Amino acid sequence: MLLVIEQLLNGLQLGITLFLMSAGLTLVFGIMQVINLAHGSFYMIGAYVGATVAAKTGSFLLAIPAALGAAALVGAVVEIVILRHLYKREHLDQVLATFGLIMFFNELTLMIWGRQPLFMDVPGPLAQSIEILPGLPYPVYRLAVIGVGLFVALALWLLFAKTRAGMKIRAGASNRDMIGALGVNINLLYTLVFSLGALLAGLAGVMAGPVLAVQSGMGESILILTFVVIVIGGIGSIRGAVAGALLVGLVDTLGRAFLPVLLRLVLESSAADSLAASLASMAIYILMAAILVWKPRGLFPAHA
Amino acid sequence: MTDAILTVTTLCKSFGAVQATNDLSFTVRRNDIHALIGPNGAGKTTVVNQLSGDMLPDSGTILFNGVNISRKKAYQRARLGIGRSFQITHIFENLTVAENMSLAICAHSGHNFRFLQHFRRSPPVLRELAKALARVDLLPRAELPASHLSHGEKRQLEVGMAMVGNPELLILDEPMAGMGPGGTAELSKLIRRLKGTLTILLIEHDMDVVFSLADRVTVLVYGENMATGTPDEIRRNTKVRAAYLGEES
Amino acid sequence: MSLLSRKTIVIGGGALLLFFLPLVAKLTGQPYLLSLGSRILIYALAAVSLDLLLGYSGMISLGHAAFVGIGAYVVGISQFHSYEATPFLSAPFLLSGSENGLFVLPLAILVAAFAALIIGALCLRTTGMHFIMITLAFAQMLYYFFISLEKYGGDDGLSLYARNSFPGIDLSDDRHFYYLCLTALGLFLLFTCRLVTSRFGLIIRGAGNNDRRLKGLGIRSTSYKLVTFVIAGGGAGLAGALLANQTEYVSPGLMHWTLSGELMVMVLLGGLGTLFGPVLGAAAFLLLEEGLAMYTEHWMVYMGPVLILAVVFAKRGLFGLLAGGNSRDD
Repeated sequence: MLLVIEQLLNGLQLGITLFLMSAGLTLVFGIMQVINLAHGSFYMIGAYVGATVAAKTGSFLLAIPAALGAAALVGAVVEIVILRHLYKREHLDQVLATFGLIMFFNELTLMIWGRQPLFMDVPGPLAQSIEILPGLPYPVYRLAVIGVGLFVALALWLLFAKTRAGMKIRAGASNRDMIGALGVNINLLYTLVFSLGALLAGLAGVMAGPVLAVQSGMGESILILTFVVIVIGGIGSIRGAVAGALLVGLVDTLGRAFLPVLLRLVLESSAADSLAASLASMAIYILMAAILVWKPRGLFPAHA
Repeated sequence: MTDAILTVTTLCKSFGAVQATNDLSFTVRRNDIHALIGPNGAGKTTVVNQLSGDMLPDSGTILFNGVNISRKKAYQRARLGIGRSFQITHIFENLTVAENMSLAICAHSGHNFRFLQHFRRSPPVLRELAKALARVDLLPRAELPASHLSHGEKRQLEVGMAMVGNPELLILDEPMAGMGPGGTAELSKLIRRLKGTLTILLIEHDMDVVFSLADRVTVLVYGENMATGTPDEIRRNTKVRAAYLGEES
Repeated sequence: MSLLSRKTIVIGGGALLLFFLPLVAKLTGQPYLLSLGSRILIYALAAVSLDLLLGYSGMISLGHAAFVGIGAYVVGISQFHSYEATPFLSAPFLLSGSENGLFVLPLAILVAAFAALIIGALCLRTTGMHFIMITLAFAQMLYYFFISLEKYGGDDGLSLYARNSFPGIDLSDDRHFYYLCLTALGLFLLFTCRLVTSRFGLIIRGAGNNDRRLKGLGIRSTSYKLVTFVIAGGGAGLAGALLANQTEYVSPGLMHWTLSGELMVMVLLGGLGTLFGPVLGAAAFLLLEEGLAMYTEHWMVYMGPVLILAVVFAKRGLFGLLAGGNSRDD
């Protein structure tokens, strides 16, 4: 039972990271109708800048704003210099250009930071475990990540539900023509939304730093999970991003933890292990396929 | 009324609070040119979409040749013999004129899982392409990409594509929209030439065109049938004059 | 008329060049040219098959490498069982391993096409951005699936003991192998050229251009698109089987989405919707990669911006530049 709770928390943590990635990306898809493969690069930039600042200054508290600032800045530059010219173009052009961006950023980080992955220390006060239930110690850092994620989700909800700017963005995500009608400076709004998305990705990246190895190409594995989240949730829907992220986080984590155990009940152990390994690595994609068959536009389609 | 090809009875369609089509009934007689007119916002395009199957009505029936088609999908209605042109030109811009027309021909000639023979050498295309292009005066333009055509020629192509498969009913949704006087005259000539060979439901703004071409006219105001009759009857109808023609002249 | 002949000259010249490349390699004493040439031909085959999707039917698949990988694994797994003398399947029917190219290459095409049928049927429930992301996700699923297959090397992949055997020719001879690749590419190009001008091809071009209008004509394009997806998958599977033979090695890396992206880049560089263009694109991409890699290991940092510029400014691709005018179709 304790193991289940621990794995639930791990799944929640993955879900939170995915939510930070997909919230920004789904807005970019929904509002600008642009497919951006380079979103993972912002995650990677956040992680690299965070790890570097933390190593140089020894302060995780400085690393976070540095990572967020760097990701947001690079996001704004990318939007202004490149993506803005692609909004009216076909999806294929957007895919290819942002693929070019990935090549560029991945190689650039190799040139700056080298091939050796960077490792980031868990900041001092968070480096321990506490007993959240009798007999279940859990790393404080992971709890903090979950806390930050929930805080951001709440902040986003307030932004979108309670402020004028947020309502405009939301209106834009579900009906693009609305934005023009509301008399908003579209260029500025697009840059801000894109930059906000990049900032959230940077936050996800810097928080993943102490858990994962910081290396070139780390953005792409999370990017593809993010796509799965968005497909499941529905393009342009924040609610969908929340649901999809939690679903994917939990299914992936629980699948890896418990499928071998479950399969060993019915199969001999070597066959069970190899089958479980295959199934667990494919679980979220199977989930995605199932949801597609049931609801081709995702759980919460924004463009009804 | 044995000669009715299309009978619309108490058709209703609303979008939220807006009643776009309100208890609409009218009949189109075979081989007539029947015009559907009305001021902007009268719901003409909504009616067309329900007739062609691009939209389903909330209630009411549409009888086509005595068959209730109100729940059928667009492609099923196309197969039953309803051709349609769109208000905004709707052709394959990257394909040539001949390819556009051939696509329409192939659409009416069974399945298209034929992988090796050049489409130009397939029997239905050989049989019909030249005729179909000639019918709308586009034979000399056949090898041009459709994007190179003038606005009027694109309309001609679209009408020609809608006519492939010899539909019994051809719905032309504002075919004159955005055309200069020369193009309008050209297209009017074309429509007049078709008269008597099939039924045409013409949705049109240009009153001169309507009154010179149509056998019968239905006036649509706020989604309702205000009057139906010959052009002369419509011209004399005081209600119509007050509601609609008054504004025009 | 002059445009047509210019196109013919470009294609004919390219064909002659490819045909005599082994001779050039021998005369200049650069056997390395042969293996580079084979690689170009194989990637070209995969890129041509992708062009059917991107350039003709408007399906933007970001998971095409999955089928290349499947084709390669058919060769790898088949040889693995042949060498171990264990059957791949004992029930419902016996399927033993083989290293006979006449059996394995068609099998690779069939298996890849079958995978494309299943994946395509699911993906085609969606359109637009969803389609792009879902094709990518399925390819990634297969990538992880093969990583988890410990029996066949998992992450490390499988090494082949030798190239497939083929009656009458000796594939371990690089020249013979080169001509096998050239024949495969030539036949596939011949087939696809006929395909895109057939009635079927007309429908898929219509679907790629304006799917809604096609529906208005009473044609539902889904089944046509699915068949195209299957054909493209089969072509990629053949490319994968040849690639496995060329490198004598298969690994999940073949399914990685960067390969899908690179294939896309080849199609775009060469010219979308031209069939011959992607051959040129594959050559240009691989030569550029080799060339840049000689000067810097960080060649991608230059390739990325080049790609972005190509997208923004040069839509017609290299084939459009060389063959000029309206090189799309004929």
